[in-house]
Amino acid sequence: MSEPPASPGQAASPEPAASPPDSTRTGPGRVLIAIYALFALSASARAAVQIATKFSHAPVAYLLSALAAVIYILATVTLAVGTPAARRIAVLSCSVELVGVLAVGTWSLADQATFPDATVWSGYGSGYGFVPLVLPVLGLLWLRRLSKRARTQETVVTSAGDANEAARSKSALRAQVSFGRY
Amino acid sequence: MSSVNGVVPTTIIVAGLALAAYALLMTALNRRMDIGLLAALGVLEILLLVLVGLIVAKLAGGGRPASLATLIGYLIAMPLVPVAAAFWGLLERSRWGSAVVAVAGLVAAVLMVRLHEIWPVIHV
Repeated sequence: MSEPPASPGQAASPEPAASPPDSTRTGPGRVLIAIYALFALSASARAAVQIATKFSHAPVAYLLSALAAVIYILATVTLAVGTPAARRIAVLSCSVELVGVLAVGTWSLADQATFPDATVWSGYGSGYGFVPLVLPVLGLLWLRRLSKRARTQETVVTSAGDANEAARSKSALRAQVSFGRY
Repeated sequence: MSSVNGVVPTTIIVAGLALAAYALLMTALNRRMDIGLLAALGVLEILLLVLVGLIVAKLAGGGRPASLATLIGYLIAMPLVPVAAAFWGLLERSRWGSAVVAVAGLVAAVLMVRLHEIWPVIHV
């Protein structure tokens, strides 16, 4: 199962990818979305239980948990959809996430009275192996790399002489990029 | 109160970490998800379902954790991890499908530690 029977058309392709290499949900993005989905699920379930059963115990912490959950859901969905508009929202939610984990992390260390119970972002995500701190950085890097790749391809297309030439260099570049990076 | 047999959670931790290591090796070797990884996910799934059964039996026997809602959430979510990883990983036709399986293995191991925190009678 590891190697599919190669058809003549596929033989030249360095990567048997069904989706275009510049999609947000293929390649490393596949792993990123899996981790985001995991955090979306666990953060929202945790926030729901906390708010439903003991909201008055630590209201600030639980509301911040709920906010984190919403941002994780937004990032998961927009990365999976991957349209230009969704990508812009993904950049925004990853940025808010990074600011959030830094702000809440600092706040939770400086003012422990406000956080009798932990949020996902307490101590910069130390309760979750600091994954909440690393995740938005990886998300932003991934989105930036994709937008760079898209821009490079556009430049190649517009600077090439005729349409055939443009198509050829575009696919050559794409093959090069996907071969080098996957 | 007697505790849940620690053999199954410990086995899941070992199996999860071994699966993660194997899947990361496949990723490093530029191999996409194959039947071997799929079978390993199946083994992990069976182990998780056995554990769910043991915990449900413990609940049926009258034991209660501090947060029953959280435990029930884990009982529902736990067996979905290998299934979701199998689907999501098979969709990917590159090495990153194997990396998704590695994440599932790590998650299974971490879930065992969390389960013990939720309900200390579940030994690791």
